[in-house]
Amino acid sequence: MHKLKIENLAKTYPNNVKALNNISIEITNGMFGLLGPNGAGKSSLMRTLATLQKADSGSITLNDIDVINQPEALRKVLGYLPQEFGVYPRITAAQLLDHLAILKGITNSKKRKELVNYLLDKVNLYEKRNKSVKGFSGGMKQRVGIAQALIGNPSLIIVDEPTAGLDPSERNRFYNLLAEVGEEVIVILSTHIVDDVRELCTKMAIMNLGNIVYQGSPQHAINDLDGKIYQKIVSRDNLKEYANNYTLISNKMVGGQPLIHIYSETNPYEGFEQVKPNLEDVFFSKINTQNALV
Amino acid sequence: MFYIFFAKELKAALKQPMIYVFFVLISLLTFGAVVSDHVSIGGSVGNVYKNAPHVISIYTIILSFFGLLTATAFFNNAALRDYANNFDEILFSAPLSKSGYFFGRFFGALILSTIPLLGVFLGIIIGSYLGPIFNWISPDRIGGFQLMTFVKNYFIFILPNMFIAGAIIFGMANKWKSTVISFVGSLLIVIGYIISLNIISDVENESIGALTDIFGLNTYNTQTKYYTVIEKNSLNPSLTGFLLINRIVWLGLSVIILIISFFSFSFHKKNKKEKALKKKIETSNTVFTLPKIQQAYTIRTHWDHFKSFFFINFLSIFKNVTFKILLLFSLIILISNLISGYEYYGLQSYPVTYKIIDTIKGTSFFILIIIVFFSGELIWRDRDYKINEVIDATPHTSLISLVAKTLSLVAIASLLRIFFIICGILYQLGKGYYRIDLNTYIFDFLYVDLSSYFIFSGIMILIQVLCKNKYIGYFISILILFILDTLLFAFDIESNMMYIGGRPNLLFSDMNSFGPSLKRALWFNTYWLLLATICLSIAGLLWNRGKMESLKNRVSVGLKQISTGYKIFFLGIITTWLLVAGFVYYNTQLLNKMPTADEIELSQVDYEKKYKKFEKINLPKLKDINYFVDIFAYKRNVIAKAKATLANESDTAIDSIHFNIHQNWETEILIPDSELILDDKELGYQIYKLNNPLQPNQEIPLEINVKYLTKGFENNNELTSIVANGTFLNNSTVFPTIGYSSGAELSDKNLRKKYGLPKKEIMPKLQANCSTHCMRNYISNGTSDFTCIETVISTANDQIAIAPGTLVKKWIANNRTYFHYQIDHPSLNFVSFVSGKYKIKKRDWNGIALEVYYDQKHPQNVVKMLDAVENSLTYYSENFGPYMHNQCRIIEFPRYSTFAQAFPGTMPYSESLGFIVNLEDEDKNNVVDAVIAHEMAHQWWAHQVIGARMQGATLFSEGFSEYASLMVMKKKSGTPMKMREFLKYNHERYLRGRSGELNKELPIYKVENQQYIHYGKGSVVLYALQDYIGEDKVNTAMRNFLNEFKYKNPPYPTSLDFLEYLEPQVPDSLNYLVTDLLKTITLYDNRIKEATYKKVNNGKYQISMKITAKKIRADSIGVEKNIPINDWIDLGAFGDEDEKSLIFQKRVKITKPEMDFSFEIDTIPAKLAIDPRRLLIDRVYKDNSKTVEEITL
Repeated sequence: MHKLKIENLAKTYPNNVKALNNISIEITNGMFGLLGPNGAGKSSLMRTLATLQKADSGSITLNDIDVINQPEALRKVLGYLPQEFGVYPRITAAQLLDHLAILKGITNSKKRKELVNYLLDKVNLYEKRNKSVKGFSGGMKQRVGIAQALIGNPSLIIVDEPTAGLDPSERNRFYNLLAEVGEEVIVILSTHIVDDVRELCTKMAIMNLGNIVYQGSPQHAINDLDGKIYQKIVSRDNLKEYANNYTLISNKMVGGQPLIHIYSETNPYEGFEQVKPNLEDVFFSKINTQNALV
Repeated sequence: MFYIFFAKELKAALKQPMIYVFFVLISLLTFGAVVSDHVSIGGSVGNVYKNAPHVISIYTIILSFFGLLTATAFFNNAALRDYANNFDEILFSAPLSKSGYFFGRFFGALILSTIPLLGVFLGIIIGSYLGPIFNWISPDRIGGFQLMTFVKNYFIFILPNMFIAGAIIFGMANKWKSTVISFVGSLLIVIGYIISLNIISDVENESIGALTDIFGLNTYNTQTKYYTVIEKNSLNPSLTGFLLINRIVWLGLSVIILIISFFSFSFHKKNKKEKALKKKIETSNTVFTLPKIQQAYTIRTHWDHFKSFFFINFLSIFKNVTFKILLLFSLIILISNLISGYEYYGLQSYPVTYKIIDTIKGTSFFILIIIVFFSGELIWRDRDYKINEVIDATPHTSLISLVAKTLSLVAIASLLRIFFIICGILYQLGKGYYRIDLNTYIFDFLYVDLSSYFIFSGIMILIQVLCKNKYIGYFISILILFILDTLLFAFDIESNMMYIGGRPNLLFSDMNSFGPSLKRALWFNTYWLLLATICLSIAGLLWNRGKMESLKNRVSVGLKQISTGYKIFFLGIITTWLLVAGFVYYNTQLLNKMPTADEIELSQVDYEKKYKKFEKINLPKLKDINYFVDIFAYKRNVIAKAKATLANESDTAIDSIHFNIHQNWETEILIPDSELILDDKELGYQIYKLNNPLQPNQEIPLEINVKYLTKGFENNNELTSIVANGTFLNNSTVFPTIGYSSGAELSDKNLRKKYGLPKKEIMPKLQANCSTHCMRNYISNGTSDFTCIETVISTANDQIAIAPGTLVKKWIANNRTYFHYQIDHPSLNFVSFVSGKYKIKKRDWNGIALEVYYDQKHPQNVVKMLDAVENSLTYYSENFGPYMHNQCRIIEFPRYSTFAQAFPGTMPYSESLGFIVNLEDEDKNNVVDAVIAHEMAHQWWAHQVIGARMQGATLFSEGFSEYASLMVMKKKSGTPMKMREFLKYNHERYLRGRSGELNKELPIYKVENQQYIHYGKGSVVLYALQDYIGEDKVNTAMRNFLNEFKYKNPPYPTSLDFLEYLEPQVPDSLNYLVTDLLKTITLYDNRIKEATYKKVNNGKYQISMKITAKKIRADSIGVEKNIPINDWIDLGAFGDEDEKSLIFQKRVKITKPEMDFSFEIDTIPAKLAIDPRRLLIDRVYKDNSKTVEEITL
């Protein structure tokens, strides 16, 4: 059982933005979802975990590795897919993976070749292995990125917004792949797509403005909201009024008119209809504490 | 619409700092050049005003190349900004006028590009006003202002140059949408200049060269090469001649490029060609299984990491388009250099390996660019392609990755270099030259280039790692590479330890291989290689992994994370470097302290101020000199002794003797009954007081012991005269000289002014019936006259040592070979000491032994050299008098110097001068013959009769020798047109020389040792003289003069004495020639305006020509005025366009500036000409001939 322990991690950027505000989490084997809107500090946290950014204070340990002071040791057991993953021009997918496999200490060239082929097959790129990666579509590049994150036997895999640019079938494929490896290692999946977390993760955290605003299992969070979410289709002109009078969680357009979700301990009537809460409601209720229109 | 984009372009750029930075930079540079002699832009200005129109033009054009940088930025930006910002789709969907957009931006960028160059004018103006006020320069070096100068320079150079550059860059940027390609466009212009420079190096091709230079620098230089000081001070550039054609051609081409570019420009995005994907349906039935892998992190892993990084980086450069383009460019330059060859008087030398290497080094600039460019590329690549986070999060050591980057740069550069070497070898083989010296190629590469590549790569990598983005990195790299040198020089720091990659120049010689500099070059290499390694280790520590951090953070993190192993390694390398640095410092700054340029200047000033007062003291004369010289070639030591008699030949007593001691030579002077009363170690001046003054006609013995012991190594200028093979010294460099030496004074007139020294009299004024000045000749300067000299010289047993004279004895003692030479006739005390491994070719000519001592690798021209010696001996002994020695030797010495020098009966001759010139083509000018004939002539003209130390002295050593050499050539080759080919180079030498004169030009009979006068003009005017009055008349005058003064003790003759012998030989009708040719500076401006012919009844042809002829007199600073003409000038007709056959020639009296002539001749001419054989000095000779037109009746 691997154990990642983050304690009081803090980082303030020179422009006084608090990217990480004394964050503490403990993560063990399995898929861990990190949800949060853009700018919540997810990527800062991911990069700090991946030894690519220094924190101001706090500590991170993976098993007995002190991540902050022994970055080399962590890198040996890390698989990382950053938010933005590009590739070298004029180098083939196989060459790139081979290079990265060497960097990850796989010295036996025969084994390395087998591994590269295996991974390329896993991400459905085996047939394009000798094509220059530059000509790949965004989704194909992302698949190369996923393949490289799985090289070696990482005990910590960090994937930052991995499904951006993937079509639904590729996404499923990717999730299966992650789920496959995720049983024995820690996988941290950072995303702002709620469905990703719902489908994959047994544990999750929601981040907003540098803080962890929720930590636990998705189902538990949904259960907490059970019977407290109401929806109503309203006219656009009245939106503001509803925002003032109710704890507005979200609004989205349905058939050209705003459909609003509100949080309420009791039935507000007024045409509101109780709905079964979903993770999205959890997400919005956790981050939308200012009761603003989102 | 045009105006909107035009104005937007200007506004956007004016908000950015770049334009101001460059404007200020150019202003400062020009300002510096005006107010200081330490800053120069394309050479010193000498006698010309610091703000002369010519100077302004030169600055303007040279700085245009600098301006190219900004131009590239502006035009590239104008073309690509909207694409780069992905704004194109938004913008182009708006209703825009295409021409407004296209030309608005173009002209906006054009105006912007010219702005920084206006800094030239500002710098000039401020400099000219402030310079004199603050006493930085004296007011008489500033001339007046003409607004026209600025206007003309702007419209002739700045605006057109930027237009041309802009059209090319803008066109290429629009077409290929890549910044890199735009830079390639600007490189094209630089290449045009370099190629033009190559072409232009031979006078033959200057018209092509003048056109290939896109910016017109060479064009302007060609057009103004004969400008005199006055012209440089007053004439603004004018759109005529080559310059006009150059401007028209390039502007025309640019307009075409711009138009093509405009029409191919479109707002619509091109559909990217989608490569039809061949669907190879590889139904792979392979089942992939996850192999059981093991991750290992051992030393072996580091090596694997390195290999993988190296491969990936190498591949990325190798496949890069910029790399390919730079490769192509350097290849073009290389090939153009190889083909244009090694010209000398129209002759090519054999493609010996070191010449090819020199040519290959011409591409070093490109390799440097590649290193600078790709250092940034490799460092920033991961970030640019957004793969950095993945790579950075892998468990590799930063240092390994950086070392791999560095070595891939080194590998790419080396690969290029090796490729060029292969090209060079193919060229050699193609030329039928098979002595390919692979070792030289290999070792030169190892010693010089490979280490340079590593040094530069390591340093550039560190710079890029430290910088916040690659452009700042480039800027700093370029600053360090190009500006640092200038800066250090300005602060008078001259140490290779400070110049990046500094190392003594390794000059390969066939005789002496890499020579004495090799050892110190290797030390300097070690010093720099270690420093580059330190740079890399620092870079490894500070390399930014992950998110960009400030340098401060990186330093603190780096220091925190440094591992013990790294610390030990780092400290180890620093310690080694410090030790090496200390050793190099000890050798170059303590053991062999070399004065810097400023220090030399200062000591020259001191010397003059302290000891000038002794200039006229009475000197004793050296007589009956015996030299004993032991050359230890392999240790590079020389131990020598001179024994002589000091005689007082004056009529007053001599109470003290003064000596100039050479730096680095341990010297011991023994004079009986004397004491050393002054010993100035710093300036090397000693005065011995004789306890009993030397009375007139009294003699005392003198003994001098000197030692040169090579200790360690020097920073630069290793003494290349004492080497393992081919040591070549002369008595005045080995032994102290007697008396104050005015030759050691500072001669530059502006420097003299700066140090408050009076105007220097280079030579005493020419005097008739002189008394004191004629007692000294200009070679031994009063310290000796014609005297008996013997030399015992010893060397290693595998070498031959040679000094002038007949070998009287040879023996072996102390495991060394001794040679005893005796000069056959009392001679000037001007003695060479040579030692080397020689082969000897001998021939007997009337009892005189003709000998060539040559290196075994250079047998090609030896027989021809003996022929040349024989031809000279024949002509000179017939026309001047007998040869006075029993032997006549040519001795090869290494190419550290490129000259030949005549000692009594003995002529050392540089290996690069005659031994490797290709003489196979009989039709070409035989420069070896010419040089040998010149040096041979010195055996009469200098060694038998030598001029008094006074103006005009070199007329009958150098001038006469050039003349004599021409006569030998004339006798051998014969045809007048071939002589004109040869004279062309002498005309060129003279006209160019007078244009660059720093002090004042004098008529040849008052020449003050100016080479362009005594060699260039001397040969031309004496050749003309013999053509007008007859060769035998000139020779008779020379012979009679020689007979009178041959080996005669003082008083020595002056040029006035010679004129006395000449005048009886000149018929009255031609008396004016003596004045025109010898006593004044006279030039002609002859032209042919019309040339026609018609058939006449008797089957002959009547040719007619209209000529203009102007005669010009110039004073010493180049002020010219026309004087009436009443001269005999040749008119002629050529049978061919190439002016090879002169079918008709007639000497006519020209009495008016414009005249018509007609003659009847037998055949149809191709061209008519005035002065067809180029006897007279005419600044523009091209207009002296004209293709004929037929007149039909």
